Amino acid sequence: MSERQVIDARGAFCPGPLMELIAALRHSAIGDEVEVWSTDKGSAADIPAWIKKVHHELVSINEADGHWSIVIRKAK
Amino acid sequence: MASKPLYIVLCSGEHEKVQMAAMMASVGAVSERAVEVFVSMNAIFAFVRDATPDRRYRGGAFSQFMKEKHAPDALVLLRQGKEFGDLKIWACSMALDVAGLEMDHLVEELFDGPLGMTKFLSDAEAGQLVTL
Repeated sequence: MSERQVIDARGAFCPGPLMELIAALRHSAIGDEVEVWSTDKGSAADIPAWIKKVHHELVSINEADGHWSIVIRKAK
Repeated sequence: MASKPLYIVLCSGEHEKVQMAAMMASVGAVSERAVEVFVSMNAIFAFVRDATPDRRYRGGAFSQFMKEKHAPDALVLLRQGKEFGDLKIWACSMALDVAGLEMDHLVEELFDGPLGMTKFLSDAEAGQLVTL
């Protein structure tokens, strides 16, 4: 059964949230989801662009409570 | 289609340029793009082993902001680029000779070795070259 891990990267500056996401994905199984919380304004565009480039799957992206929440499913 | 490799010549020792090189190199490498960095001139001093952050990173107003707000450390970013992607970092052999430095004077587990500009430029013909 797939799992979801939450990475709290609030307060980290670019490219910190992306690097934390990548570190988490390396320890995840295919199908697992990682949810990244980020206050970095660039993350909302940067992380989806990275996901597209390396062929993972963007599940959702939302802004609430002063931070972005981006959910990624590991696809490979 | 695979991305063109990215080649970065880092010759400035200014913190802001070292940081930008580290950001470009690490993000490029984790985005399935081969990246090579050639460290020369004053930039070599930012990579001297056992330097304190204040001595390693010298720059202007933005450098101060990055230190105060704890922006990701350039050496950490470069190590992440190597761990998560295809990133090679070379120390300019001329810079080492002129500064009287050996490879073991530089930070550990970061450099792939010394390299001459001729070989780096020859390799860079296949990709995109950026100089900082």
